[in-house]
Amino acid sequence: MGILELIIVSLIKIIVIAVVMLLTVSYLVYFERKIAAWAQNRIGPNRVGPAGIFQPFADVLKLLLKEDIVPTAANKQMHTLAPMIALFVAFSTFAVLPVGPSFTAFGKVFSFVVADVNIGILYVLALTSVGVYAITFSGWSSGSKYSLLGGIRSSAQMISYEISMGFSVAGVILLAESLRPIAIVNAQSGWMWNIILQPIGFITFLVSAFAETNRLPFDLPEAEPELVGGYHTEYSSMKFAAFFLSEYANMIISSALIVTLYLGGWQIPYLELLNLSAGWVVILQVGAFIFKLVFIMFFFIWVRWSIPRFRYDQLMNIGWKVMFPLSLLNLLWVAILAMIL
Amino acid sequence: MPKIIIDGKEIEFKPGQTVIQAARENGIEIPHFCWHPSLSVSGNCRLCLVEIEKMPKLVISCSTTATEGMVVQTQSEKVIAARNAVMEFILINHPLDCPICDEAGECKLQDYTYQHSVGESRFTEEKNHKEKRIELGPNVMFDGERCISCSRCIRFCDEIVGEKELTFIKRGDRVTITTFPGKKLENPYSMNVTDICPVGALTNRDFRFKSRVWEMAPTKTICSGCARGCNIDLWTRNNEVLRITPRQNEDVNSFWMCDNGRLNTFKHVNANDRVSGPHLRKEGQLIKCGWDEAYAKTLSELKSFAKDEIAALASSSLTVEDTYLVSKFVRSTLNMKNFDFVRKVVAGSGDAILIREDKATNAKGFELMGVEPGKSASGGGLKFDEIISHIESGRIKALILIEEDLIGWNPAFEKILSKLDFLVTISTNFDASTSFANVVFPASTYAEKNGTWINFQGRIQRIRPAVTTIEMERSLDGMSQSRWDKFGTDFDSWGKAKKNDARPTWKIISGLASAFGTKYKFTMAEEIFNEIAHTNPLFTGLDYDVVGENGVQLKTETVKKKVTI
Amino acid sequence: MAKKNRLKDLSFGQRIYITEIAKGLGLTLKNMFKPKFTMQYPEVKFDPPASYRGRPVLAVEENGQERCVACGLCSRVCPALAIEVQAAETENEKERYPEKFEINMLRCIFCGFCEEVCPEEAILMSKDYELAFTNRADAIYGKDKLLTPVSRLQDRINFVRQFK
Repeated sequence: MGILELIIVSLIKIIVIAVVMLLTVSYLVYFERKIAAWAQNRIGPNRVGPAGIFQPFADVLKLLLKEDIVPTAANKQMHTLAPMIALFVAFSTFAVLPVGPSFTAFGKVFSFVVADVNIGILYVLALTSVGVYAITFSGWSSGSKYSLLGGIRSSAQMISYEISMGFSVAGVILLAESLRPIAIVNAQSGWMWNIILQPIGFITFLVSAFAETNRLPFDLPEAEPELVGGYHTEYSSMKFAAFFLSEYANMIISSALIVTLYLGGWQIPYLELLNLSAGWVVILQVGAFIFKLVFIMFFFIWVRWSIPRFRYDQLMNIGWKVMFPLSLLNLLWVAILAMIL
Repeated sequence: MPKIIIDGKEIEFKPGQTVIQAARENGIEIPHFCWHPSLSVSGNCRLCLVEIEKMPKLVISCSTTATEGMVVQTQSEKVIAARNAVMEFILINHPLDCPICDEAGECKLQDYTYQHSVGESRFTEEKNHKEKRIELGPNVMFDGERCISCSRCIRFCDEIVGEKELTFIKRGDRVTITTFPGKKLENPYSMNVTDICPVGALTNRDFRFKSRVWEMAPTKTICSGCARGCNIDLWTRNNEVLRITPRQNEDVNSFWMCDNGRLNTFKHVNANDRVSGPHLRKEGQLIKCGWDEAYAKTLSELKSFAKDEIAALASSSLTVEDTYLVSKFVRSTLNMKNFDFVRKVVAGSGDAILIREDKATNAKGFELMGVEPGKSASGGGLKFDEIISHIESGRIKALILIEEDLIGWNPAFEKILSKLDFLVTISTNFDASTSFANVVFPASTYAEKNGTWINFQGRIQRIRPAVTTIEMERSLDGMSQSRWDKFGTDFDSWGKAKKNDARPTWKIISGLASAFGTKYKFTMAEEIFNEIAHTNPLFTGLDYDVVGENGVQLKTETVKKKVTI
Repeated sequence: MAKKNRLKDLSFGQRIYITEIAKGLGLTLKNMFKPKFTMQYPEVKFDPPASYRGRPVLAVEENGQERCVACGLCSRVCPALAIEVQAAETENEKERYPEKFEINMLRCIFCGFCEEVCPEEAILMSKDYELAFTNRADAIYGKDKLLTPVSRLQDRINFVRQFK
């Protein structure tokens, strides 16, 4: 494969993923509202288009038309930079996550991943750490005490949960013996999904993922009753929209990561027994990935509308006194498992 | 002093006092309707029943003279049961139309029903119907059904005024009050019966249905009707004076005031002809202008006259503070001698009760402050009559007229004022005199400023603001506030009440003085009073707090020395 | 005294929290499939029950006689100072009537105290809930907007008589 071809193929992949991500994010918001409504015996948005399906476009239009307000007390550069970082992190993380297996077409091998990096998982962890800056910057630069408190809470929370997240991932890497996402997926063929092999790791990762994405029950950085809007109190118009987008994009990425690391990625157990043609296998496997992704995303939303927010001290207790030891325990278990297998 | 025990508390009393008087003086309230501290004892309401040891039955405390060692119970079971019974009995024929009744909120029957009644009546029959809306006189309306026949109003007319006008007619539950044939309730004190009526049977026709009592804010001040200086409450709502009621002061007016004071001394405060903002005469018309423009105009005009061509006349209803500053301004700043006060004595208009012949509120003040011509340190100067004759003969060409409507007082002065080349008035309302004025300064009325008046007895008493002008704020100026005043905003209709652009006379004078190059340092009336208290031995030791709500009697006899300003 | 559920009183299942989370998730999931209560508002209008406190109105008898005697109790009890009454005299048997009766709907909080305190059953909470105005002056409802025939308020009058 020549350099030019690589660039073209990668660009196409990037555009496809960016468009799909944006659309998914819009509809994630729509489904968030719908599911919230259903859980509360309501019907949710139903005015824009049939069953309200054009609601996301109306929302985007509204956000675009809003006045962009920068508070006088704000540090203007930082205030502008913060949502950009958030959006950048959210979108670039997806580059290393494989959606399906490699396949051969036109005599060439294509893979359902923008960049098949051999340290992909490290890359993901690194980028999510950068994400903390977006929130800290926005909180600090807004010149508002609510934003600042939201930002500080958020950075403390993300740093605390990154540790248990890292140890949980370490368990996965230990079994797959690789940092390449594709290799990790391949290591989970059949029923060898990590959720079965290391359930404790799955739980610690899941909880940490919730905390990292600032979703309920860990949405303390933007706890409305205490902090108005948390770190994005002072944001409006498209800057606010950028935070909003990145929050939901992060949710997609976390879901994709969970699927990749614990739910066997695109793997469907016993698929080889059906003796399907290669084309069908690829389609089914991509479908399986999307199905798993959607389920996890639904789970995210479902949890949000079921469980109340933790208190800040409870959050820290869980992070340091429960999740951290549990992830260590998991690592120990995986080490034993690796010796057996 | 002999002692009596009421509710276990040992109380001293003066010989001859009744039990209710002794109790009242020591803060023990025995409920009563017909008894009034200033009226004779009637003993018909039976509500003041108390239990006295060694007496076979309950007795009414209003007609029982206290004797040494008497032991009285006002809260025993027997007394409370009797009180309940009396209340139930009185309420049998009372219509309970409190929602309609004007007395609601200050009704003794209403209060006692809440305090001393069981709240239920066993009387299921039709209540007695009597005549309603009877005009007992020009100012008092009578409602027969509400009357509880306490006879306070009858006794008031008989004993305080000495005019036998009211009486009971008929018997039993048909008893009602009426005037004697061919008579009306029209004595000059008739409206006091509306105050002493414990229910809403007698109401003030002028105030009828105007406002509920709880919507108004009362201000403790002094009546501006005559030299008596009756202590009054000025009731305001939405920055508007609605009624005046007398305030007890045994040294001045007891519980009473005259109808003229009650009806005719506040309407000009709310009137539409109030002067709001200074006015200049341009092409024959009085046109509103700015304060500085009016001051400058007055300055330039007055400078064009010689000193003896100018005179100043002030009302003798100015406050002590205004008087002090006006006198200082005229004699020192303008260096003029032709300055006097208008005396308003109506011979034969007074009586032996409250009304004085002198209609000015502070005439005694001028006398005591030594600001009359011939008495002041600068000496000389023309008196009122001489000023008038000098204007007539054209020797005085400019006049400063302060808070006085000369023409309204005596129409003959129209001829005099029309002769003037230049007339400055400081006026509260547009009147006959301002129609000749070249410059009109808007003065605050007595209801809009702080100050003191000295009544004919030499008693100094405080007036307080009840109505705000543009430059005042009710809460910041410590004025009394109703619930509406406290919680209203500028967007509420009552928050948009009319406010005049007026200033107290002393403030206008300060402004004029500074136009003439003399700065007075006063920012409020109290500061002027403090200066007077420091410089004038008559006022030594006085300040607004010492004068307080009921005033202070000045030691006029001890001051023989002439006071200088 | 109610039993206090302290951390030490919780069972192991409750303490590890996961089972409780599952229960909570189950509850929301169950509710997702239950019938919905949403009302398509502008097309479908809500018909309030008699206990509903809509905007306060003044009852006027069939013969055109208004019930209010302008006693001012509603005005006094109103915690938001929304009501302003000016009384005047009439020739009727009840000699007092409201010359001016204004409710500032920007101030009104629909607490119903005015109705509760009214001795004449004159001020009543109607079922009218569609109140929108575009300026402050429009928000002040005078007698023209407040007077409502008794027949339209019968529902509420019955309710008030039953529960007052």
